Amino acid sequence: MTLDLLILAAADGFSYAGLLFLVSLGLTLIFGVQGILNVAHGSLYAFGGYTAATLAIWATEKQAPTWVLLAALVAAALLVGVVLGGILEIGLLRRVQDKDPVLQLLVTFAAFLIFEDLQRLIWGVSPYSSTEVVSRMGNLDLFGITYTVYQLLLIPAVALAVYLGLLYALRRTRLGKQIVAVTHNREVATALGINAKKIGLITFIAGAFLGALGGAMAAPTTSLVPGVGTDMIVLSFSVVATAGLGQITGAFITALLIGMARSLAVYTAPELEVAVPYLIMVAVLLVRPNGLFTVAQARRI
Amino acid sequence: MLKLQDLTVDLAGTSVLRGVTAIAHVASTVAVVGRNGAGKTTLLRTIMGLAKAKQGRVLFDDEDLLHRPGHHRAELGIGYAPEDRVIFPTLSVEENLRLPCEVQALDTADIDDRLESVLTVVPQLKGMLDRSGSALSGGQGKMVALGRALMIGTRLVLLDEPFQGLAPALARQYGEALVRLRDVRPDLCVIITESNASLLMDIPSQTLTLERGALEAGAPAH
Ligand SMILES: Nc1ncnc2c1ncn2[C@@H]1O[C@H](COP(=O)(O)OP(=O)(O)OP(=O)(O)O)[C@@H](O)[C@H]1O
Ligand SMILES: [Mg+2]
Repeated sequence: MTLDLLILAAADGFSYAGLLFLVSLGLTLIFGVQGILNVAHGSLYAFGGYTAATLAIWATEKQAPTWVLLAALVAAALLVGVVLGGILEIGLLRRVQDKDPVLQLLVTFAAFLIFEDLQRLIWGVSPYSSTEVVSRMGNLDLFGITYTVYQLLLIPAVALAVYLGLLYALRRTRLGKQIVAVTHNREVATALGINAKKIGLITFIAGAFLGALGGAMAAPTTSLVPGVGTDMIVLSFSVVATAGLGQITGAFITALLIGMARSLAVYTAPELEVAVPYLIMVAVLLVRPNGLFTVAQARRI
Repeated sequence: MLKLQDLTVDLAGTSVLRGVTAIAHVASTVAVVGRNGAGKTTLLRTIMGLAKAKQGRVLFDDEDLLHRPGHHRAELGIGYAPEDRVIFPTLSVEENLRLPCEVQALDTADIDDRLESVLTVVPQLKGMLDRSGSALSGGQGKMVALGRALMIGTRLVLLDEPFQGLAPALARQYGEALVRLRDVRPDLCVIITESNASLLMDIPSQTLTLERGALEAGAPAH
């Protein structure tokens, strides 16, 4: 493998890790508060992507400036996060809150299948894309290779900003501390005056927004086809499981690890691309069954 | 101030509380004594709205609390220290103490005052304020849980088996804190559950005995 290829693989992996982190973060945040592994998170990614592409195509036709195209990505994620996230939480997850985890998994899987068909119905099955914003933001030179500013700088910057912002929010804000409290112990949080239902809804919408944002940010760099949601949800499951459920910093590091490893595989051993994330996951879980970053629980009597 | 009327609770199909009727007055400390599994925790959880009653009423100032969701208790000035403490590990002790007041959006000056008053009742907390909630021993956790309940519980405080598992020295400190509490907040109503009545010394002004989900006949419920 030449140096150029290595740099290219690293840039690919770095950028992809940003997307993977956004999606995984949403998944892990929702799991923390609701205790539900939401398979339909993959649909939020797909809908975020398709909605963003739709808005971008429309904005491009209207000769909108670059910042409008960027704002359209965020707007698409917000729209999908609030509308689909709200419908999912109020209509579905809330109703299976205290049920068997297997049932919860099946219910979110059913939602995922429904959304998958809905998506084919709305956007069809032929590839869908709008790369306008990526070409407008131009390229830069990285040790001799050319790479887009959008992928190399913007996506990682957004991921980093979301990571730092979320850490700050959970640590310092009133809402954040309530999310932490509900995550740790729903019942005691309730006894302390926290409206766990409301916090659950807010967290779910925030998590759904992150999933949709991942899709929206990915949209300009790729062609959307049916099944994009499946690939992403499977990969982000492996990130979340490797990091340990509910681990934010863990998800950050693991997304980077898996993103990089996957893209190295793409360039060196393409036949392994699909397997690499799971090899990492299995290796980690064999050594640390609760995930790489899970710390010991607070002491109980 | 708190009246339980014919309170009946089933958990997972078995009857756990059976027609509990009792009164706790302002400025009193009521002990609820009962063996393991008698239903003490369930009684407190039902008052807090965390377990669902099948029948009966929980009157607080003549309003039935069972019609209110669990998270409304704090706003009414009811504090709760659970049996297993549950101090949030990613927050400091001070943040843990302030949390229930912040949730109610009390202003900072008010929260500062409350913290100060709690620290006079439980002075052991002073040295722990900056410590992480994950770095507490079981006994220290009980102290923090008491402090947290007192931060928001200005009228009624429910303490679930606070002496359970405390070393003798800590148990004495905890008892002294409850005595100081009487002086600092004379009007407070305190309900303490315990399986071993002797641990409570002479702190309670009234003792109810819970036996397999029902109050023992003859228990004063005036
Ligand atoms: N979630 C639950 N589901 C089913 N049964 C329960 C549940 N919680 C408690 N019980 C049963 O209800 C009874 C009373 O339990 P509870 O925890 O209220 O007792 P307790 O007096 O607090 O006991 P301890 O002294 O051990 O804390 C027990 O027989 C227990 O097995
Ligand atoms: Mg108990």
